[in-house]
Amino acid sequence: MTIQSMADLEFGMEFGPWTPNTALASASAAANAVGWTNAARFSNHEGARQEGHPGALVPGILGMGFLCALIHREMPAARIENVDTVFRAPLVADQPCTVTAVITDIDVAKHRAELDLHIKNAKGETRIFGTATISMPT
Amino acid sequence: MVDVDELRSRYLNLEFARSNFVVPAGNAATLARLAGETRAQYIDPDHPDFEVFPAYLASLSAGRHLPIDFPSLGGIPVDGGKAVACILPVPAGVALNGRTHLHDIYAKSGRSGRMVFLVSRMEIFDQENTLLALSDSRMVIRERGTA
Repeated sequence: MTIQSMADLEFGMEFGPWTPNTALASASAAANAVGWTNAARFSNHEGARQEGHPGALVPGILGMGFLCALIHREMPAARIENVDTVFRAPLVADQPCTVTAVITDIDVAKHRAELDLHIKNAKGETRIFGTATISMPT
Repeated sequence: MVDVDELRSRYLNLEFARSNFVVPAGNAATLARLAGETRAQYIDPDHPDFEVFPAYLASLSAGRHLPIDFPSLGGIPVDGGKAVACILPVPAGVALNGRTHLHDIYAKSGRSGRMVFLVSRMEIFDQENTLLALSDSRMVIRERGTA
């Protein structure tokens, strides 16, 4: 079911799981797109390990992008007013993850809803979590 | 152990950096596509309502996060998270102005010691001085010698 208006929303409604592209090439390209062009931690597993990371990382901003993308995929009419993310643990490139969201509050009068957001790895461990406030037409 | 209240009184809400920049539409669209975004206004630079993808705005607050005279807290800062508030659509390809201040400083104590959280906020304005968006960067520093 695609959500098009506030009337379609229900408290506790869940979205996902959606599996975004965490390939190393994608992580590296995302870093390049925002100007982080010389960061081995986003482009090279071995280089990242030498810096003490478990492998090349998915940039946190790409993780935030996954969360935004899930909102827009599931609720094409939604406008993100706020999105707040906590980078709890590294998201490693070339390792699958799933993105989910759940509606935690609905304010019909203000045409707004709040969501909790999670990105988990294949072990079910939360790597990034956050919240978002969206506005929607009635 | 650093006095968080003193840091707050000395540094909160004082602008310490100002920068002019232009977001290239192609770069913003690339990040949006890589994220799996499907909405045309974020992935198609030719869309009449094209605007900068929120996650791209989060990247703008990276860089100098602290005032030049901010004291060292001993530990290595870690990127603890980012937040974006979208007030108005942020256009690509036009001059923007970012003004950064420390928005919050707080501490949390746990079994492994105390962590200090520093939230720097970039306010993003257009050339008419209209506030378009807020981009927060949350740094976490584990204090040394407190375990």
